[in-house]
Amino acid sequence: MKEANPNYTRRDFLRLSTFVGGTGLLAAQAGVFGEIGTANAGVAQQAGNYALAKPENIIYTTCLQCTTACSIKAKIVNGVLAKIDGNPYSASNMVPNIPYDLPPVDVARVDGKICLKGQAGLQHVYDPYRLRKVLKRAGTRGSGKWRTIPFEQAVAEIINGGQLFKDIGENRQVPGLKDIVKLRHPQVAKAMAEDINKIRKKELTITEFQAKYKDHLDVLIDPEHPDLGPKNNQFLFQCGRIHNGRIEFSKRFVNGAIGSINWVEKTTLCGQTSNKAWVRSTMAYEEGKWKGGVKSPRPDWANTEFVLVVGSIVFEANYGPVQESEPITEGLINGRLKVAVADPRLTKVASKAWKWLPIKPGTDGTLGLAMIRWILEKDRYDRRYLQNANAAAAKADGETTWSDAGYLVKIVEGRPQKYLRADEVGLGTKEQFVVYWGGKFLAVDPNDTVQPVEGDLFVDTVYQEIQLKSALQLLREEAYRRTLDEYAEITGLKVEDIAAVAREFTSHGKKAAVEFYRGPIKHTNGWYNAQALIALNFLIGNPDWQGGLMKPGSDWDYTGEKKDGKPYPVGKMHPGKLTAFGVPITREGVKYEESTLFAGYPAKRPWYPFSGNVAQETWPSIAEGYPYPIQAVLLHSHSPMYSIPGGMHQLGTLLEPEKVPLLIACDIVIGETSMYADYIFPDVTYLERWGTGQKPHHIRVKTSTVRQPVIAPLTDTVEVAGEKLPLSLETLMIAIAEKLGLSGFGADGFAPGMPLKRPEDFYLKLVANIACGDKPGDVVPDAGGGELELFRQSRRHLSPAVFDEEKWRQALRPQDWRKVVYVLNRGGRFESTNRGYDGDHARYLLGGMNRFYLEEIATSRHPISGQYFSGYAVWQEIQDSMGKTIPVEGDFKLITHKEVFGTQSRTATNYWAQLSVQPENYVELNRSDARRLGVKDGDRVRIKSRSNPEGVHELGNGRQRYVEGTVKVMEGLRPGVVSVSTCYGHWAYGSNDVEVDGVIIRGDARRGTGIHVNPVFRLDDNLRGTPLSEPIGGSVSFYDTWVTLEKV
Amino acid sequence: MSEANRQDEAEKLSRREAAVKLIKISLGLAAGAGVLGEFTGTEKAEAGAMLEVPAAAPPPLPERIPQDEAIFRMQQELHRALQKPVAERNWTMVIDNRKCVGCSTCTVACKAENKLPPGVVYRPVMEEEYGKFPNVARRFLPRPCMHCTHPPCTKVCPVSATWRSKDGVVVIDYEKCIGCRYCISACPYGARTFDWGEYYTDGTPQREKYETEPSFEYVKEWPRAKGRSPVNNTRKCHFCLHRLVNGMLPMCVTSCIGRATYFGDRNDPESLVSELIGNSRLMRLKEELGTAPSVYYLV
Repeated sequence: MKEANPNYTRRDFLRLSTFVGGTGLLAAQAGVFGEIGTANAGVAQQAGNYALAKPENIIYTTCLQCTTACSIKAKIVNGVLAKIDGNPYSASNMVPNIPYDLPPVDVARVDGKICLKGQAGLQHVYDPYRLRKVLKRAGTRGSGKWRTIPFEQAVAEIINGGQLFKDIGENRQVPGLKDIVKLRHPQVAKAMAEDINKIRKKELTITEFQAKYKDHLDVLIDPEHPDLGPKNNQFLFQCGRIHNGRIEFSKRFVNGAIGSINWVEKTTLCGQTSNKAWVRSTMAYEEGKWKGGVKSPRPDWANTEFVLVVGSIVFEANYGPVQESEPITEGLINGRLKVAVADPRLTKVASKAWKWLPIKPGTDGTLGLAMIRWILEKDRYDRRYLQNANAAAAKADGETTWSDAGYLVKIVEGRPQKYLRADEVGLGTKEQFVVYWGGKFLAVDPNDTVQPVEGDLFVDTVYQEIQLKSALQLLREEAYRRTLDEYAEITGLKVEDIAAVAREFTSHGKKAAVEFYRGPIKHTNGWYNAQALIALNFLIGNPDWQGGLMKPGSDWDYTGEKKDGKPYPVGKMHPGKLTAFGVPITREGVKYEESTLFAGYPAKRPWYPFSGNVAQETWPSIAEGYPYPIQAVLLHSHSPMYSIPGGMHQLGTLLEPEKVPLLIACDIVIGETSMYADYIFPDVTYLERWGTGQKPHHIRVKTSTVRQPVIAPLTDTVEVAGEKLPLSLETLMIAIAEKLGLSGFGADGFAPGMPLKRPEDFYLKLVANIACGDKPGDVVPDAGGGELELFRQSRRHLSPAVFDEEKWRQALRPQDWRKVVYVLNRGGRFESTNRGYDGDHARYLLGGMNRFYLEEIATSRHPISGQYFSGYAVWQEIQDSMGKTIPVEGDFKLITHKEVFGTQSRTATNYWAQLSVQPENYVELNRSDARRLGVKDGDRVRIKSRSNPEGVHELGNGRQRYVEGTVKVMEGLRPGVVSVSTCYGHWAYGSNDVEVDGVIIRGDARRGTGIHVNPVFRLDDNLRGTPLSEPIGGSVSFYDTWVTLEKV
Repeated sequence: MSEANRQDEAEKLSRREAAVKLIKISLGLAAGAGVLGEFTGTEKAEAGAMLEVPAAAPPPLPERIPQDEAIFRMQQELHRALQKPVAERNWTMVIDNRKCVGCSTCTVACKAENKLPPGVVYRPVMEEEYGKFPNVARRFLPRPCMHCTHPPCTKVCPVSATWRSKDGVVVIDYEKCIGCRYCISACPYGARTFDWGEYYTDGTPQREKYETEPSFEYVKEWPRAKGRSPVNNTRKCHFCLHRLVNGMLPMCVTSCIGRATYFGDRNDPESLVSELIGNSRLMRLKEELGTAPSVYYLV
């Protein structure tokens, strides 16, 4: 303890005990700190006594330092998590992975790989600024003044509401959750939900609805607009890195128990548009609808020969460095693999590339179109593959997928609209499409496995007075609208380079791919960029081929709902479950045109029928009460004030009790957003809790990870309905449900006599779903006596509040217990890496149709501008929601990048990694730009933009700072571009002083270094405090802001 | 207190302690050396004398683990090497720079494994940018201790606290090291750093326990506390000797996400490192100094 701070002593701190530090908890467990021998001697170990290699000191679990969710090996010594390594059972962290049935005692000395973030994970859990008690604000929101209150009191206050802040001079009545959860009848909710759908389809009028539910209209937000849903929707749960298991647990609470539709994740800040574009492009046509789809087809890095990486930092971010690096480095040195990288910045993968294309930001799709033009002109596409119009034709060619290349699209009023259906021209049914082949029009059922149908690729014709063009024809026309020289001008690349990359891409048969994720899509034109890059893959027919494009190897269904015969379909095991319905606060998944709020264009705010979890829309929507006001918000593992571009512009919304009457956070620390909350409930970290990870994108075999407590939680233990539980998100939800009498939790939570009173009551069932497999006989073995004993031994340091074997067993059927132990002893369930392929193909197939053209997109309109979207890849300038091009507004385009040691808001705790490897981030500039500006390494510059002309970051309560950073001059960045990484510049999260119970807790300045650029991001001129966004997939724009730099 | 001031303070303290220790040692050198067994200097150092080398090598990997894969093959080769007398091993590292992705995982894994405090780093990854836009490259160079066959650092130690073991590892005896830091200046690779007794979580509400839990360097337990080694000692990479004797590869090898680091016994002609040393792309750092490092690079 440094003595520099006169206001704060260690004794104060111990008395305070708000944070985990100072609890004495660990010291009590340790028992190893006595003096040993002479004061200056190490203690000789017995050979083979290396504590980190002992099986009883190991628990396998799942990382969450980034979202890849690697499987990890936590090594615990003296009750303290001492070391984290990769789990060699998992194909994500060891190639090849060790056989799943090897006993853990035999493999304790085998360590898998795990990146530096994963290694530093124990600094995430052992963070001195972790919270252990509930905090209630003792000043205005964001004042930094707090007091601790008992958990039971805090739960009672948020449920009952009232004059909760009278003691600090606020007389307003705060609504409690009891005032929000108005609709409590499951049957009424279900019936209303169904009738709302009828209203949307114009099958029922509002008057009819009101008559039918005349006794229940008081539960609605607005009986004149019943489609907005019940008042329950005025409870918003906004979350971030929540991950599987916790997703289902929290949805059970928010949707099924509270009955609110507003469970909103933050995925539009991430790669969502990429995911959504892939899903749409790989959907199947079934029963007259586009269904299914795969969100993350990826190159088969282990076998591919050429990959064009567009804006994806595969060695530093993406999904993820641990899986992608090894097959790439191996391929590069043995001559198998060639890589080209299009990125304004020379990323680490670009530094290994055959060709670096320093592309202008926001023109990625144009590079795609340029390559498409070159490939079509040179006839270097897989014609045979593309002509296959259905499953049977594909099969005849040894293909597992086919495309819509030859499907005919109707051109109506000069605009491509729906695919022509066979019934429209008397050729077949309304569920068949039409192709042109051998001089004839043919009906085609895409899923027909018997009768092969092929189609001409380039068709431009009129048939029965309908103007028709084939899908690939439409794309070709767009690609041919510009010459390669014009493309070179737009992208800032050389024609020769574009041609060379296109030639290389088409020189390896199907053993080539285009990889992209976030870079191309975090632009207003991101959807079309994605479509262009996806189309390149389809042109060479690479899906499912070794060395081509493959889908993740999938996982075992942990929810128990996707496959028949699973032991615990937890979502269905919910007596009295409410059906959540209505329009989400973010107006996602719902068409504006179908809502009762439709009033022509522009809509008041955007709607996102093709997206979900549109994080940047929550706060501006709350600010405007559109489509309705919100009464209470529970924020969890998401920090909008830190991570949303221009998020600062919504700080006023958070600070205004009229707009957000009750603001609750459940957080591990006082973060950049939870600092503005009314209450903070402590949460546990990923190393102290349950979950089921998520499947890795780059692994070709089945992988189901389990997250489980590896150390005793550092939060306080409380008692809820007779159970001792550590404070956590689950405990909060269980307690609220208990006090409010909500369904799905408590003594009969799953079924009469089947309780959900403890987190493991829920999560162990998910583990059992994994253990029991997805089909008969697909079960893991029972853990033998030795494994059971190892299981107990390795949990000997856990308190009964988290590990009580009897309670764990009670959560399961007797026959499941040993199987669950088997899975927990290995951290999940993992197929062997040698099962990834079946001959030349992937074992787990994408299969099905791949689409160049998306008819449902082409027939939808932007809810603000009213303009129709395009169904195929087009070049579009960066524009706002009214379709107005964003002009050049500064000297530089600002881009951001991720550091290999950084994940947004939460790696500033990693003293070994982020804070040691690079203590601050930089404003990165090309040398020529630096010279022009007269700045050099180490100079400070302020960043300004049109949306933030002074470069000021408002922190609330009259505090502000400039958006300023330290210059780093480099060659590996396109001139005219400035790049800043995204995990620095904290103003909370332990970097600042806070006052708790009258005592000042000093922050650690090391955690607040560097620059945070989100406050200068470009806002949409029409949307009052919302950043520019991509309107289809819903992604927020990260790379479309013009800035100027000013030396300070 | 700024970083510089803190270093000055620590330096004063450390110099003083070193002086006191020097006096003690000049009065009774034999007693001080006793901890390590019999040796009087670099040349005569008993290889492995400071290690509690297991009587029998740890068991081999289970047969069902595919041992043709490099990472398992190397671990199995360790097993083979451990069957031999210490003096017949020659631990060697080969780093393939073309496979290094510059992620610093090895740096951090090493820090975590060896409980390294602020200012101590065994294996930094250096980065350089070459060329001019748009013809630019970034290159990454992990730089552990070179474990020189002719180490300049051991010669300058006034108390013979550091030497080259017969198995090729340059070691430091923390119990003898007086913290004078001559060796730090003598190392041409900058591979040695000094333990100033700092903690990452000092200056926060709590010094976290993971920082005071023991490290296992040199097959001993080193709980971390003021005035107790390795605080105020020079520290450096030791090829994770404590893992080697337990049949485990160094941390930088197992953690590497690009699989850029190879390790083994170059006295074993069948070993992977022996194969790699025959590669024409092989080089060593500052070859001209005649230090003959045991760390090789493929470039």
